[in-house]
Amino acid sequence: MAVRDRFGLGWRAKLALGILSNLDRIDIVEVIADDYFRASHRERRALRTLAAQTPVTLHGVSLGMASSVPVDTKRLDQIARLCDEVEPVSWSEHLAFVRGGGIEIGHLAAPPRSAATVSGAIANLRRAREIVGVSPQMENVATLIDPPGSDRDEATWVSQIIRDSESDLLLDLHNLHANSVNFNFDPIDYISHIPPEQISAIHLAGGKWIGRPNARRLLDDHLHDVPGPVYQLLEEVGARATRPLTVILERDGNFPPVEWLLEQLDLARRAVARGRARRSAAAA
Amino acid sequence: MNDSRLETFLARIYVDQTARERFLADPRGEAKKAGLTAQQVEDVVKIDRDGLELLAASLEKKAQS
Repeated sequence: MAVRDRFGLGWRAKLALGILSNLDRIDIVEVIADDYFRASHRERRALRTLAAQTPVTLHGVSLGMASSVPVDTKRLDQIARLCDEVEPVSWSEHLAFVRGGGIEIGHLAAPPRSAATVSGAIANLRRAREIVGVSPQMENVATLIDPPGSDRDEATWVSQIIRDSESDLLLDLHNLHANSVNFNFDPIDYISHIPPEQISAIHLAGGKWIGRPNARRLLDDHLHDVPGPVYQLLEEVGARATRPLTVILERDGNFPPVEWLLEQLDLARRAVARGRARRSAAAA
Repeated sequence: MNDSRLETFLARIYVDQTARERFLADPRGEAKKAGLTAQQVEDVVKIDRDGLELLAASLEKKAQS
């Protein structure tokens, strides 16, 4: 049976009208779960209405799953309640730590890539599955610093967690692209480490260069268009992934007209189609 | 326990400018004071200083937005 890939946008208030006006060109919408933990009844009703109109996937940003510290059960309960209410097609979180010793980092940080964070993430994923009922897809994160205390490369670390937890990977291709140029590794080699049957979702985004001329880093800021190399990586994933992919374009600000985002979504469709065609040709 | 200490230490130097300046002035001393293992002390002493500064600036900008 042919796989059916889905393509969609991240739900943002300033994109709402554009998304709702173009649901014929959008297969799925990704909603930030944390935005709804303290939402009013009216806001939650609006989310349920959206989920009734189009498939929704929920995306968490504050659990801190890739940590040697156990994930907060109260936060998992919030995700569980929201999933019960919205009935998303899937939910996802990050291979990141977001706090330590009561200090909130305020964003997703790459943890030390060590045996401790591998086993911590696996235990946290088991807990998430118990409480929410479904495993989250786990997303690789971008980092501006090679995390101190790491004893393995990112591809090895991610693939260990994904394999041993039997979770799916939400492969953020701009995060992968940024880390590969910042830390000088081959992104295709990285992709080849991941079991192709465990890649089920993709994020696309853009970024910008920051830092001094001899110490520049590519920042994943979600404020720019998806660069060419990311579409090339998407084709590569399309050629390898064995399951349907959910591809989400993330844009957090500096919003262009929605038509511009829909054109980027069309570029993504074509990149996956090229990859799927390669896969079919290789199998023939 | 020691692994969570390392995460706490990193969280602190990522977001707390005073702690970061103290660390950059005396990485080994600050890491030992935080109770990190000998290996973790060696790991943080070798920290990528450019990356640390860029990350800290990025986090500060996010906190302000």
